[in-house]
Amino acid sequence: MKNKCFVLIVCLCLLGLINVSYGQDLLIKNGTILTVTQGEIPNGDILIVNGVIKQIGRDIQAPEGIQIVDATGNFIIPGIIDSHSHLALSGINEGTVAITSEVDMRDVLNAEDTGILTALSGGVTMIHTMHGSANPIAGENIVLKLKWGKTSEDLIVHEAYRTLKFALGENPKRSRASGTNTTPRYPQTRMGVNAIIRREFNKAKNYMEQWDRYEKLKAMKKPPKNLIPPRKDLRLEPLAAMLRGEIVARCHAYQADEMIEFINLSKEFGFTIACFEHAWEGYKIAKEIVANNIGISVFADSWAYKVEASEGIAYNAGFCANQGVLVSINSDSGERIRRLFNDAAKTMKYGGLSENEALRLITINPAIQLGVDDIVGSLEVGKHGDIAIFHEHPLSVYTRCEMTIIEGDIYFDRALYLKEREEMEKKEKETAKKKKGGGQ
Amino acid sequence: MKKQKIILSIFLSAILIIATLSVYAEVGPTYAIVHCTVVPVSGPPVENGVIIIRNGLIEAVGVFGGITIPDDAEVIEAGEMYAYPGLISAHTNLLLEPARPPSQTQGEASSSQQPDEKPGWQKAELMAFESLRIKKTTIEDLYKAGITTILVAPEQNIFAGQSVVLNLRGESKEAMVLKQPFGLHVNFVTARGEYPSSLMGTMALLRQSFLDTEHYRLYKEQFTKSPSGLKRPEYNPFLENLLPYVINKKPIIFNCANIEDIKRAIRLTQEFKLNSYISGANEAWRVVDWIKKAQLPLLVSLDTRPPNMSKYVRQGDALKKEAEESIYPANAANLYKDGVKFALTSLGLSKSADIRKNLRTVIKAGFPEEEVLKAMTLYPAEYLGIKNLVGSLEPGKIANVVLTTGKIFDEKTVVQKIFVDGMFFEVKQPSKKAEPTSLDISGKWKAVVDSSMGAMDMTIEFIQDGSNITGSFTSEMGKWDITDGVLSGNELTFSISANIMGESMAMEFSGTVDEESLEGDISVQGENAKLKATKIPDGGVEENSL
Repeated sequence: MKNKCFVLIVCLCLLGLINVSYGQDLLIKNGTILTVTQGEIPNGDILIVNGVIKQIGRDIQAPEGIQIVDATGNFIIPGIIDSHSHLALSGINEGTVAITSEVDMRDVLNAEDTGILTALSGGVTMIHTMHGSANPIAGENIVLKLKWGKTSEDLIVHEAYRTLKFALGENPKRSRASGTNTTPRYPQTRMGVNAIIRREFNKAKNYMEQWDRYEKLKAMKKPPKNLIPPRKDLRLEPLAAMLRGEIVARCHAYQADEMIEFINLSKEFGFTIACFEHAWEGYKIAKEIVANNIGISVFADSWAYKVEASEGIAYNAGFCANQGVLVSINSDSGERIRRLFNDAAKTMKYGGLSENEALRLITINPAIQLGVDDIVGSLEVGKHGDIAIFHEHPLSVYTRCEMTIIEGDIYFDRALYLKEREEMEKKEKETAKKKKGGGQ
Repeated sequence: MKKQKIILSIFLSAILIIATLSVYAEVGPTYAIVHCTVVPVSGPPVENGVIIIRNGLIEAVGVFGGITIPDDAEVIEAGEMYAYPGLISAHTNLLLEPARPPSQTQGEASSSQQPDEKPGWQKAELMAFESLRIKKTTIEDLYKAGITTILVAPEQNIFAGQSVVLNLRGESKEAMVLKQPFGLHVNFVTARGEYPSSLMGTMALLRQSFLDTEHYRLYKEQFTKSPSGLKRPEYNPFLENLLPYVINKKPIIFNCANIEDIKRAIRLTQEFKLNSYISGANEAWRVVDWIKKAQLPLLVSLDTRPPNMSKYVRQGDALKKEAEESIYPANAANLYKDGVKFALTSLGLSKSADIRKNLRTVIKAGFPEEEVLKAMTLYPAEYLGIKNLVGSLEPGKIANVVLTTGKIFDEKTVVQKIFVDGMFFEVKQPSKKAEPTSLDISGKWKAVVDSSMGAMDMTIEFIQDGSNITGSFTSEMGKWDITDGVLSGNELTFSISANIMGESMAMEFSGTVDEESLEGDISVQGENAKLKATKIPDGGVEENSL
């Protein structure tokens, strides 16, 4: 009994701790709330308690002592999510060999990448930061919240899918080892890319069976003498995890043919494709993509920058979305990331999406693709208080992000930032002056 | 004939006697250092003290008059002086043979070239001891900082190799060894032109190597016990080298350039239950919770320059300056205030002047002097597993004694005499002042540096103030500052604080110069390169400015 009490107390303490460390309280008042999933609320308030949205509506009573953000005249949307980014990493490609499923972006997080600040200034609160596209099978990606100033570990979103990066087409087939070694690397063709992926999955299958056999023997009442576990192979582990359904594929692909091939591979081995990256020719196979329950994460425009993108069209995102594909707009860039809302707006002109449909491409849709739509992606009671506030409608070309909030914490405040920048510039000038004075 | 034999045998035995004598001579005579302030570190200072040294060990320490001076002792009058235990730098890359450049065939990488089967990162078998090149000047320079004991570790590659602990008595390397090998050194770096070319690849490689070592051991053990049904395991030289460290938990020293490296090291330590040391660590205060929780031996470098990826150096010059001048030098002080114990090392610094200067910087930032002393004596001795031998002035310990003109870390203090293993060395005093020069070398110079990596063009700009030279060094790799330059007659020396792909590196130049040309050697971490330069006439147009 005593023991049970103790455990209970410990559990309560832990819960308390988690609650305490988890986000802030904040009341946002009197803005136009675009919830994305539950319509629009003019002159609405949002109450965030312990980092979680507790109440959305009009005239919410402010709890005592709570910090209040006045959003009069502003637009409040869910924090923007970039489904395909390479921010906050020390190194993006392990390009020396074609298969590098053993690498994990979690090992090279850099919470001090100033790109995070840039992203925050564009209302982005969450990114899926990925291995590059140099390898047919690359590494494990990770989902982060852009909590500038916190440690790398604090940024990790543990609720998200585990994803492994794949790449088809020009990038993996033209990659070479870096530095002094300039010999071409297998594979050099699309068929080679396909073959090497199949070969690795066959290896992984074999590997998995080896381990299953071992576990079975070990579990026997009288395990055989000299039973030794197989060698643990970090390159095959993630692939085996894919075959067991614990990791999903995120596959860089441009052309329709290579996407179809990859879908066929996924059926052959029974793994899940969460999303095709870029998918310029997605519009050609929208039906197949929908039928296989795959998302696409694309640019809004700027196609034809290389041969395999030559049949890309600005209507891709809008058309596919209208066909029922789960589409997100991504940045793939530390610069474009701060105007994802502009890119989303383009789908209204090209593809005829409604405002809300366009907003979905940078909020709830990427959230679904990353498996975090139950905690972020829209403004609903119970979801995280991850919010961006714009001074005009977020899809207006004149808009700008005024404030970015994660779990009730303000991580970007334009007014404050401008003031700080002014002070910093003043300080810089003084330092420069001193430097000059010292040199004379 | 017979006579000859007799003469020969007499001659031989004479040699023998001399040889035997020389063995005794090596440990030095008996010394009595008298009238000095003895700072034993392990206890309170003793005014008007005495230290008796015999057979290379400390025989007695006490107050003058309280200890009998042995008849056979050579008395060293040390009134007004302070006696300290020899300082220990628990991580250096000094005294090593320069790494051989990667074998390059002239012209194209030809097919005749033997493919190097072993990847470049795999240097676990490299013994610092084997690569030692005892340079007297280096040792003498360390004496000037009061350092008598160092750990020497190979520097490059992911698995850099195994270190040795030396007592710097300055003879054969065999005579200097205190611990061999000490530990396995691991860097969070990448390979060039081969796997792994990224840090994440390096992490995967480290994990796979540790896993493989465990599996190798398991298989071998099982096979030795009962081979039935098992294939005979192949001998794996790489994994054999890891066995003592991964399985028998000898020290693995992770070189940590930033907070993420520290966390990477701690994660690996927990995953594989390693006996890890964290070295470098000049951002340790920023992850003090991790450090405290992990409780690993911590070797903090006196090199207080902020790492390139630091948020403090990427948000404007004002903050960067603050980082260099006050934020990073306070690392040791902050750790101390947080109750963390650690050793200070000279890693990254090669000159005694820099070591002494940075010691003062660290003290100025708030790390108390008594603690600095412990961080360079008792604590490193403990971490290196030699605390029964060195680290304090106590009877029975090795006689590493430093005699200084004042408190050891004071700016004006000079190390005058030093005993290592009871052997007495007079410390050479700083060289004379620069000769006045009539040369004016200020202005721009066009330079070529020729190293094992190939030739590289640079532009040098000197600013001359009497014999003091400063300026900059511009190449395709960036612009680096020239510091501490001295022009003495036509002899020119200066340092360059270079930044190569995010890594800070100190380079030293020494050579000769006249009105138009300049020639000399640049040394970078033990490697030498030739530098030649010609003056660009004033008003001349630089080629690359077009």
